[in-house]
Amino acid sequence: MNATPLNDELVLETLRQVIDPELAVNIVDLGLVYSIHFTAGKLTVTMTLTTPGCPMHDSIADGVRNILLTLDGVTEVEVEVVWDPPWHPSMMTDVGRAMTGARKD
Amino acid sequence: MPLCFVLAGILSLLVGTGLVFAHPDLLAMYHYTPHLIAITHLFVLGFIASIVIGAMYQLVPVTLGTQLYSESLVKWQFAAHTVGFTGMVWAFWNFNMAWVGVFGSVLTLGVGLFVFNLARTLAKVKGWRAIKLGIFSALFWLSSTVTAGLFLVASKYWSSSPFLPLAAMHAHAHLGVVGVFVMMIVTVSYKLVPMFTLSELQSERRAWWSVVLLNFGLLSAFVAILLQSSLKPLAALALIVAFAIYGWEIRAVLRARNRCSLDWGMKYFLTAIALLVPLSVLALGLSWPRLPITVFTMQLESVYGLLALAGFVGLAVLGMLYKIAPFLVWFHSYSHHIGCAKVPALADMYSVRLQIAGYWSYLPGLVVLCAATAFSNEAGIRWGSGLLALSLAIFALNLGKILSHFVRPQIKPFAPKHRAAQ
Repeated sequence: MNATPLNDELVLETLRQVIDPELAVNIVDLGLVYSIHFTAGKLTVTMTLTTPGCPMHDSIADGVRNILLTLDGVTEVEVEVVWDPPWHPSMMTDVGRAMTGARKD
Repeated sequence: MPLCFVLAGILSLLVGTGLVFAHPDLLAMYHYTPHLIAITHLFVLGFIASIVIGAMYQLVPVTLGTQLYSESLVKWQFAAHTVGFTGMVWAFWNFNMAWVGVFGSVLTLGVGLFVFNLARTLAKVKGWRAIKLGIFSALFWLSSTVTAGLFLVASKYWSSSPFLPLAAMHAHAHLGVVGVFVMMIVTVSYKLVPMFTLSELQSERRAWWSVVLLNFGLLSAFVAILLQSSLKPLAALALIVAFAIYGWEIRAVLRARNRCSLDWGMKYFLTAIALLVPLSVLALGLSWPRLPITVFTMQLESVYGLLALAGFVGLAVLGMLYKIAPFLVWFHSYSHHIGCAKVPALADMYSVRLQIAGYWSYLPGLVVLCAATAFSNEAGIRWGSGLLALSLAIFALNLGKILSHFVRPQIKPFAPKHRAAQ
């Protein structure tokens, strides 16, 4: 197994395994992940969802927690779901736009 | 529990369509007959109401961003609802008004629990946005519909009513179809259409006015139909204006959408909305005071009912079911595995090809059924209901695929990945 230092890139790559089941796109390419902070084994992810009151709220937050706890060196994960700034399709990556068939403007 | 309501609804739909297929003569004659009233209640209470109620328990908290007041009341309502509507259908079929009253009261008890539960849920939400106003209105009209229904049964049983029975039945039907089903569909779509198309509500004011006018139009229509007033066309016009504003807002939402392609669930739903156009034309024509009473114009009343129930409401419900049913099963089978293993997306849980086949058999089926009903053509009614039954069988097959994820969840391990080192 390759050992890679924990960095934002690795965390984002790991989070690409978590999908929004309605849109069938991972949360990173959907632009739902706002920020990542790592201090002394604790990883804090600030993210949003496509719509307030999203029925997948708990499932996706738990999914983020579950997958990040599989990373070596991570002992605690805090997932903070925020609504400000609200999510907008313009926050998607090109990959996300291509997968959802979203317009580029 | 919402899934139990959905399954009860699908079962009722299959039985109801099978009955129409087996008895095409029922649609070829005027609709005021015990068997057709029984089938209508099976379709309206068994299929549509079951699914709308199940969906509301799921969607109201989502659309208003809150929690359902009580989960345990849902179970009690399910029991009262299923006993109530199956008993009512049986009693109508045998035209036993005493038993219709008994089972109708059981159903009303369930409706009371539903209204109480959702009203307490709504109370948690501040303000009077269009969505809250619409849901509250639908709850009010639901209570009015069952009250009017019990009044109808009582007046039939004791043979005393100040109103003409047929007018009272039509007024009762409008309360239920427009007040509950149309109102719920319009209201919920203001949240769901933007959500599924990656768009936003374009005008809260427009949405609000559509709900207000729908209420005003329905109240006017109810009174005008009940009293056989010559002002019926004005009430119909108020409803048509409400539909026009609704269509205007949905068009604006779609034009602002970020998701270019629409999935087939949305296509079912948007086709349903398009059916409001012929439905409105028919409503205006049938409300005309000088309309001659002939066999053809009387059959057009059945076409009006078919277009409203099997057309607008039926297609809208099927479209939304393609969103709701996979979600409910996904939530049960996969929500605890997300982030631990690879789980399917909602669209992977059913066949899009079957979904398309279902659409293209439903639409011609509806057209043939409406045309054949208008001309009292039994062979055409059999063909039309046969096509609808085929479409529903396809839907049942797709639903089976969705439900198979309960028994055999498709969970796959993630691909090997790099791990962090300290």
